[in-house]
Amino acid sequence: MLEIHNLHVTVEGRDILKGIDLTIQPGETHAIMGPNGSGKSTLANVIAGREGYTVTQGGIRFDGKNLLEMDAETRACEGLFLAFQYPVEIPGVANLYFLKAAVNAVRKYRGESPVDAMDFWELVRERMELVKMDESMLKRSVNEGFSGGEKKRNEIFQMAVLQPRFAVLDETDSGLDIDALKVVADGVNALRSPERGFLVITHYQRLLDYIVPDHVHVLVNGKIARSGGKELAVELEEQGYALYNEEPGRARRVAA
Amino acid sequence: MTAPLFSDLYRQRFADSMARRHEPDAIAKLRRTALDRFGKLGLPTRQQELWRLTDLSALQPIAWQRPGEASVSAEVLPTLGKTSHRLVFVNGRFTPSLSRLRNLPGNALVASLGQALLTHPELIEPHLERVPGLKDHAFATLNTAFWEDGALVHLPHGTVLDTPIHLVFHTTGNHLAAHPRILLTMEANTQATVVVEYGGQGQYLNGPVAELALGENAVLEYAQIQEEAPTAFHLGGIRIRQERASQVQLHLISLGAQLARTDLETLLDGEGASCQLNSLTLARDQQFSDSHVRVEHAQPHGTSEQVFKAVLDDQARTVFDGMIHVRQHAQKTDARQLNRNLLLSKQAQAQANPRLEILADDVKCGHGSTTGFLNVDAEFYLRARGIPAVQARALLVYAFANDSLNRIRLMPLRERLTRWLATRLALDLLEGGT
Repeated sequence: MLEIHNLHVTVEGRDILKGIDLTIQPGETHAIMGPNGSGKSTLANVIAGREGYTVTQGGIRFDGKNLLEMDAETRACEGLFLAFQYPVEIPGVANLYFLKAAVNAVRKYRGESPVDAMDFWELVRERMELVKMDESMLKRSVNEGFSGGEKKRNEIFQMAVLQPRFAVLDETDSGLDIDALKVVADGVNALRSPERGFLVITHYQRLLDYIVPDHVHVLVNGKIARSGGKELAVELEEQGYALYNEEPGRARRVAA
Repeated sequence: MTAPLFSDLYRQRFADSMARRHEPDAIAKLRRTALDRFGKLGLPTRQQELWRLTDLSALQPIAWQRPGEASVSAEVLPTLGKTSHRLVFVNGRFTPSLSRLRNLPGNALVASLGQALLTHPELIEPHLERVPGLKDHAFATLNTAFWEDGALVHLPHGTVLDTPIHLVFHTTGNHLAAHPRILLTMEANTQATVVVEYGGQGQYLNGPVAELALGENAVLEYAQIQEEAPTAFHLGGIRIRQERASQVQLHLISLGAQLARTDLETLLDGEGASCQLNSLTLARDQQFSDSHVRVEHAQPHGTSEQVFKAVLDDQARTVFDGMIHVRQHAQKTDARQLNRNLLLSKQAQAQANPRLEILADDVKCGHGSTTGFLNVDAEFYLRARGIPAVQARALLVYAFANDSLNRIRLMPLRERLTRWLATRLALDLLEGGT
């Protein structure tokens, strides 16, 4: 469902992604691991359609359509979801209003009528339980004053309400204690289905104990250095990313 | 043919206007003093420090006339529920057929100021022009010299009004100048909500002055909604004096006019008085909107909070000039001021002049000012959830502006303005707002 082909991306003139090839089928969960600065978040942002990233070569197709020709909102309406690494605080816009606006935007795109108020409320209540969110959070402004854990749970909650076909989780585990991590992972696992694909981006293997991936890729210096099964994550945790460092000086030091 | 100078025009009209009136000598004397004062001040120019950013040259070539009688249909006037005490003034004249005066408790009076001057001069003479402030303000002095009508609200000791007072000023026509006056006298332990609306059609000049005197423990929520015609000029003044432990919550909502300026002075003249000034300006096209504020802390333990916000689009310009002045005696003052401007266009321009003068040594005072464009991260966040860019931006503007509207306690007014804002931004609202 998501095909990334020879993707090269620059940010402010610097080469960040230098030829990514990655194909994800419906029902699959892929993990991308890598050190800081390897291009993980760039990949997430390019998929989601954030401005400021220039694709110089290659492309991304989503269900056969050219994803790069779509603006961010069209991608979301096509069923793509990005769980943000740093969810944005939006004072003055209540969570519930935001969610309903998003649900209705997607419905409008599909040519459907606005969601029925009772149906929406039922869906919201059910999905809140999934991520153990308190009802009071619905009335609060989007992410304003939320703790790190609440913000990440809110991302998964939005995903659960919007029910995308493909989701990118950008370091959803960062800044979470183990209990919050389990809640988030349970939420994601509940949404896994044969029709839905996931790309889980993380620095640490810990999350992958709870969201067990089908494939693991190691992203280093803008390229996928290695791909494998879930056992690759464990190996990385033990050995670190140093082995994959392309700088000759550092590689030699590790070898010695 | 060139029009006579603005100030000459008014001097010429003064004799006529005095001949028309039959009013107490004390009032006539106030008018003459004010006209003399205006003669010395003249039409403000940009050489004067307080008018440096306000360009009034567009007023000069117009031969402003006293407004004639006019009728308007009730549908064009703003409403505030069915229970308010409602006084409508068309072209500066009280219009009973559009007004609704309900029973008031005790000896409270809500009336046309022009009529009350005949029937209750004792409620006006001792109070008119007694609230200090705006002494050097040309349009405030013009108002004193020329006001013909307006509203008198008098609340004797202990009066609590449950229903709001709704004062609607509508001007229609071209090259008309109206100078309506509002006099509000609240004795001790009184409570009221007053909503003043300015609007109209045509190229007119509206120069209202409101004088608000609050006795001990008086509690007032006062909202001014300025939605003048797009070609109109609005040059208004508000003067407030607060006695011990009185509380004012004032909302200035500025939406209309090609050139609008409100000068506001409040004197916290008793211990523990508090005032909250909440302002929202929406300006677009070539609108110019200016707020000049002076909060004068004269006694200890006073608190004041100013939150002035503006949303500017196209080539609009706004000015916020806010002075907090704390006298030496006013220890334990807590005074805050915040000015936030949201620019929707690179051609829009917001000027902020926050000023503090603190002569007491044991006070808490703070001010801040920010001007910026919409948060691109927030916009992307909304778009990444499927919300189209236009709607995402509208939602962010709404959130910024609605923060001011949410401070309005009078629900029918808050809800009306919230709906107005959503309509202007082409946003669908949920039940219960955003």
